[in-house]
Amino acid sequence: MKYYCLEEFKAEFERLIKKKSYRSLERDMIEAFFDKSIGELRAGTRLNNSSEAPFIKKRVGGSGGFRFYYYLLIDRERLYFLFVHPKTGPLGSENITDESKAYIYKGVLEAIKVNELYSVEKSSDGKSLQFRSFQS
Amino acid sequence: MVIESTIEQIDQTLAQVLEASFREKKEGFGSERRVNQTLDAILDLKSAIERKTDKVNAINCQLEALTWLDSLDEPSLTKINEIISLSRDLRTSLLRFAAGFDLLNEKGVAKAEIAMFKEAIDDLKEDVQDLESRFFFLPQLPDFEETTRQLSLI
Repeated sequence: MKYYCLEEFKAEFERLIKKKSYRSLERDMIEAFFDKSIGELRAGTRLNNSSEAPFIKKRVGGSGGFRFYYYLLIDRERLYFLFVHPKTGPLGSENITDESKAYIYKGVLEAIKVNELYSVEKSSDGKSLQFRSFQS
Repeated sequence: MVIESTIEQIDQTLAQVLEASFREKKEGFGSERRVNQTLDAILDLKSAIERKTDKVNAINCQLEALTWLDSLDEPSLTKINEIISLSRDLRTSLLRFAAGFDLLNEKGVAKAEIAMFKEAIDDLKEDVQDLESRFFFLPQLPDFEETTRQLSLI
């Protein structure tokens, strides 16, 4: 599986990780998404109408943890992180609006079209994530 | 020869100690039983909350699984809509049930169990919102289905 993210995701990730309350974000993300089977990555709430290329919302880190929105291209083994938000804490929100869900979904289409993506990889010790501007 | 007042004093003391000893044993036993009954009631309460939490979490999983269904016809969508309404009713009842635990929660009784129960109710709210978004709101938003179509062409 290859991992990518949108600029918005990277910005939100970096904003959250600076806060003490969200220190577990990076570890939770690694544990939830990396070295996982397709079956495990398909677990969550599907928001679009495609089982081959689902737009998924997933709870990570329990009820009060984080909500990840991602687009999974199953046959090409690619996962695109679109957005993340915490459920609780100073930057927490219960849910995002349907308009926001549609907006971030459209965002991945635009980003793929113009190649404005970041690749997301685990560091060699597996404890952190590295974002690199990606040009295919 | 022991004087009478001494014997009387000893007898009085004996009577007092006897009475105190008897009462303590009797009441001590009783209070221990009461403590045990209270502890049993707390354990029963914890189990009841855990059972309810498990049931709510099972429903949450089922609601999540429904979002993976495709090509639903009108009668199926009507049923999904009914599930959404009933789940909201269920949440209202669960919130009422949870409100009854506020005092216990303040006293630190079954705190972890109550917290997990409330989290399950929160998740239920979120799952119902997402289910409704998936089948009723997102498909109606301009561009949403078109985004899916265009992504399938890339």
